[in-house]
Amino acid sequence: MSANGRVKVATMWLSGCSGCHMSFLDLDERLVELNKLIEIVFSPVVDTKVKDMPLADVGIVEGCVNNEDQKHELELLRSKCKILLALGDCACSGNVPVLRNQFKLEECLTRAYIETESTEVGEIPDHELVPKLLNKARPLHEIVKVDGYIQGCPPDADTIWYALTELLAGRAPKWTEKNLRFD
Amino acid sequence: MSAPKQINLIIDGKKCTGTAGQTILDIASANGIAIPTLCYMKELSPWGGCRMCIVEIKGSPKIVPSCATPAADGSEYITNSERLFKLRQCTLELLFSERNHICPFCPSNKGDCELQSQAYKHSMDHVQFPYLYPALKMDVSGKYFGLDHNRCILCTRCVRTCDEIEGTHTLDISNRGQRNQIIVDLNTTFGESDTCTHCGACVANCPTGALFDKSQFYRGKLNTSDVIRTTCAECPVGCGLMVSTKEGRIINVFGDTDTLNNGHLCVKGRYQSWTEPRERITQPQIRKNGKLTPVTWAEAIAFVKQAQANSPKWQTGMLVSPRVTNETAKTVVKISNKFDRIGVRVVRNEAAICVQPDPAKDAMKKIDASDCIILLGARLGHDHGVLTARIRVAVRKHGAKLIVLQSSKSDLDAYADVAAPVVSLERAFWQKISGYLNEAQRPVLVYGAAAMSAIGVTVLERLINALETKKTGESISLIAMPRSTNSFGLAAAGVETVEEVMPWLETKPLHYLHLVASDEPDGGARWLEERHITDLLREVECVVVQSAYPSALTKLAMVVLPSTIWSERTGTTTNFEGQSLPVRAVLPPHGEAREDRAILEELFT
Repeated sequence: MSANGRVKVATMWLSGCSGCHMSFLDLDERLVELNKLIEIVFSPVVDTKVKDMPLADVGIVEGCVNNEDQKHELELLRSKCKILLALGDCACSGNVPVLRNQFKLEECLTRAYIETESTEVGEIPDHELVPKLLNKARPLHEIVKVDGYIQGCPPDADTIWYALTELLAGRAPKWTEKNLRFD
Repeated sequence: MSAPKQINLIIDGKKCTGTAGQTILDIASANGIAIPTLCYMKELSPWGGCRMCIVEIKGSPKIVPSCATPAADGSEYITNSERLFKLRQCTLELLFSERNHICPFCPSNKGDCELQSQAYKHSMDHVQFPYLYPALKMDVSGKYFGLDHNRCILCTRCVRTCDEIEGTHTLDISNRGQRNQIIVDLNTTFGESDTCTHCGACVANCPTGALFDKSQFYRGKLNTSDVIRTTCAECPVGCGLMVSTKEGRIINVFGDTDTLNNGHLCVKGRYQSWTEPRERITQPQIRKNGKLTPVTWAEAIAFVKQAQANSPKWQTGMLVSPRVTNETAKTVVKISNKFDRIGVRVVRNEAAICVQPDPAKDAMKKIDASDCIILLGARLGHDHGVLTARIRVAVRKHGAKLIVLQSSKSDLDAYADVAAPVVSLERAFWQKISGYLNEAQRPVLVYGAAAMSAIGVTVLERLINALETKKTGESISLIAMPRSTNSFGLAAAGVETVEEVMPWLETKPLHYLHLVASDEPDGGARWLEERHITDLLREVECVVVQSAYPSALTKLAMVVLPSTIWSERTGTTTNFEGQSLPVRAVLPPHGEAREDRAILEELFT
């Protein structure tokens, strides 16, 4: 918790479409209220002016783990925060990014960089700066321990609000037929 | 036979009674206790494969699938403990991890998927087991539906439906263990299958998006659509339909479980009647300078009234399609004094069937219960898919004997004990079938139009005699099966039947001819199949065609009036059992189309 009593939150965007972060921004005026309770210390949608990932109370991750870089980032976040939440279907179950898992990695890369209809002379990127893809894309909990799940593609603002307010009140969100959605 | 023994048991603390042999699930649902299921369907034999319906037995460490376990007298069952909830959740997680269930782009997403809703009910917020991501294929070769193995949970509902309801057993399970997969015939595709009738019952009963209707794809969700019950217009069986519509268009058609078809449909009612877009006549048209020109209804009506008034009554006639409702039939009878001749155009030899005074009540049930079914000149497979399915099931599941006497090849030949052309009158043949006739306890004789041919009638009489002389105490069930949808209703209303248009036209040359083709699938073009008839129609001064679809018939017309189709009209239709069944409009009329009855009323009353 920060000096002013706010809960420190770090968010992360891995292999996802950013829709979950957009849905977070859909909290609209509730963001003002939330700002009184949390402090975002690290996030792709907030300019936190930090170079290294700071310690946090809660880490929220959108997207699944697709490459070595993302795996490293996720493991780093896990080591920096007390509670880790998977936000959205990609983080919880893999969703669209895991469609490639039915195929060999080589086949996917060939299809994407060489065989696409608009490509004349293609080349599979191979550079030290380009993160190496994992053999299979994985949901978060197959890589690190995950403490909570917020399903949805994307989860709507009300669902995110419910999960966050429950956690801030010290309760684990209850997912039932009424509020659990995979779509 | 003594009455089944009553048993008493306790389910979730509630005292319940049932009869010996009933399953725990049966008794629980009869007592208002809901147990989650996936592979269970009350229309099908129990499978016990999905393990969602597991229950605990008090005093026993075992858990049992309630759908496949007969309840024991005096036992106590628990259906909703914490342990069961966890086990069911675990089962669901295993199902999700086994294949590629990715909800957001599945056509059954958002409420049409039982797997998804069970996951919601069991708070499955993630899957604790590693996903397998198997590389599985899709079969989209079928015309109306596809199979995506990625979404299949191997509940076998499709396999059992195909076997027990359609009776073809096209589907089955191949391989073992984790490689289990639904298989079409001997590993072919829906498009190439010899046995698939494309009835789509497997799709209707699939709990996930594994089997999906192509035409419903992204048209809308079933669970938020409007559902209207009506009667299928494609044949005289009169199957109940449940039509789902959204924003003025049909999104899917399923069978009504409360009607004689028990929720089953054939390819005609389930798909053919609505999935293919067809050109419609949207406006009244009058031929001006040799070309059909759109006009207002007022102009068209004035023109037709005048044309009819200008024709001497003895030179006026009207032909009606046998697809129209009983209400239209009444109107036709009411206005018949305005015409010299009015007739309903039926197929060859059908007239004799329509005058049958007493349609076979409960014909469907009699077929279900029969031990010997004789088909004489009824094109069942081709024309009446649901009845054919019932016969297949009676033969395959209940051991009924089947004798098919028909000149053309039939889908049922493969299931028949004897299949022969109607001409078979030789001694040896009769000796062969008399064995079956003698043993029959509940024989059913279904005869169609071809049985009314000269030879057909002789065979029919001999069959009836052979069955009557047996004196089993039960009367034989004779079932007349016309081919046209409402020919029974029109004949009952008193409309004369016309099998051949030529002699009907030639009796006296016509000056005014009104053709109510209604929504005949070919627009009434079939009426022109007789030789020289087109030439004869050209000689008629004024031909008015009332039709939903443009056709060779409308090309001959002086005036074309747009009719509504099956999904846009209201009234009743009479099926082969003689029941008057409701027809309800599920969509507003297309363009300026009007119901046949309304058009005739406006013109001639």
